[in-house]
Amino acid sequence: MSETYYECMRKQGITRRSFLKFCSLTAASLGLGAQGAQQIAHALETKPRTPVIWLHGLECTCCTESFIRSAHPLVGDVVLSMISLDYDDTLMAAAGDQVEQALEDTIKKFKGNYILAVEGNPPIGDDGIYCIPGGKPFVEKLKHAAKDALAVIAWGSCASWGCVQAAKPNPTTAVPIDKVIKDKPIIKVPGCPPIPEVMTGVVTYFLTFGRVPELDIQGRPKMFYGQRIHDKCYRRPHFDAGQFVERFDDAGARMGYCLYKVGCKGPTTYNACSAIRWNDGLSFPIQSGHGCIGCSEDAFWDKGGFYEHLTTVRPLGTAGIEGTADQIGGTLAAVAGVAIAAHAAASAIKQARSKTRNDLTSVPEKKVE
Amino acid sequence: MTEPAFASDPTARLEAAYRAIHAERMHGIPIVNPALGVAAVGFADWEGRWLGVLVTPWCMNLMLVPRDPAAWRPLAVGAKRRYALPAGEFEFIGGEDPAIGEYQMCSLFSPMERFGDMETAVLTAKLALEAALAPAQAERQAAEPRPLEKLARAVEAPMSKRDFLRGSFLPGVDRR
Repeated sequence: MSETYYECMRKQGITRRSFLKFCSLTAASLGLGAQGAQQIAHALETKPRTPVIWLHGLECTCCTESFIRSAHPLVGDVVLSMISLDYDDTLMAAAGDQVEQALEDTIKKFKGNYILAVEGNPPIGDDGIYCIPGGKPFVEKLKHAAKDALAVIAWGSCASWGCVQAAKPNPTTAVPIDKVIKDKPIIKVPGCPPIPEVMTGVVTYFLTFGRVPELDIQGRPKMFYGQRIHDKCYRRPHFDAGQFVERFDDAGARMGYCLYKVGCKGPTTYNACSAIRWNDGLSFPIQSGHGCIGCSEDAFWDKGGFYEHLTTVRPLGTAGIEGTADQIGGTLAAVAGVAIAAHAAASAIKQARSKTRNDLTSVPEKKVE
Repeated sequence: MTEPAFASDPTARLEAAYRAIHAERMHGIPIVNPALGVAAVGFADWEGRWLGVLVTPWCMNLMLVPRDPAAWRPLAVGAKRRYALPAGEFEFIGGEDPAIGEYQMCSLFSPMERFGDMETAVLTAKLALEAALAPAQAERQAAEPRPLEKLARAVEAPMSKRDFLRGSFLPGVDRR
């Protein structure tokens, strides 16, 4: 356990220059600024490496595809050199019995000190026979690996909510991982797939600060899932002005009007696509002319057609109005009083404000030690 | 084309424009809250621009509109820029409408389904504007000066080519 991240990266052939560049890129994606980069560098130079076990259940591997294509190739290289060493059945070189041995060795050697990252979910119907890696139901492997984990990351909508395999009628009884892992902190990073910068950001935050980032009541990191697509959408002024695309390829579509009427789920979807965007910040679905399908929301497959416009705006199971799923439910009316309005106003301002280093690092957080 | 800056209070003009949008373009949209109306709340001078909160039955935004033409930096529709308000940095998105002219907005609420009546929505708007203009972060900022941000602001301030080449935006450069 004496090896630091930095030593480990150097062993992988990563130069100090690249290492520092990685630190500043990651600090930028976390909104931490120059001092944050120093803090990340210092942590990675001094802290012993936390191993990561990355399991795959029922899934399509789009999370891995997204992750290894992190905007800057360097980010992927650096983070992969930190995490792929221990166990990842897609990325590791080992095969067959060796693989299962590697998993057991890591669990034993780093008992209570490794992060379990889960891509996909366990189908628990018919004793779990619908997903059998290494000759055993995935649900058993998952519980086994979770037992001695420090914390658990739920990659993507499968692990977080269930996604397509849990859509009606869910023939295999696929369930999100928090239905079978009850006693560990779980960081949900939903999306189909999640944004690569968000994935590397969550891993690096955990590794650097040694704790889970601040989560909302649904278990998502607030720094990336605190606002709706709608809040930061560059087409938002067209929504406000009532300028809508009525049909694809109409004049409004050519003018870049709001896609709400052709099915955009931006007003109910908590994710960072409109702020961080995809492919090195190049674009995101709305920018290429298609509405958001709400892929990071619970049960997005069962919420009606992708091209049907929203008739109700409150996401299932939440009461958020000012961009967080954390607020007290109910309707704000005059009878509720000034205090409630003041709370709503203050929350809205806090959400709308760009995150500062303090917002991200001075969070009173349950420590994961 | 760029609209002329509003020399006088834009409240009436904004309200008229959004009432028309409410009646025409937003007609029949299910996420419009029927309990609410349109109001432009608290528009006042902020560093040469009008800053206030726009309340409509479908959104509540911080809104910047031109006041002093020299202080207004145009922003393309859909482009984003951060402004340092007393409560912190806020990212605004550029917009333009024939009836409104140029403006820049930062979303506070949208949609507006949780507001039961207009009175509460307007009260929330007032309190939100107060919160945005209150230096809640002052002590933090003092404890943690951000030299890069200061530098970025200094570089963006208007200056002559000569000053730029002299590096007048750098702290203490005049002594060289």
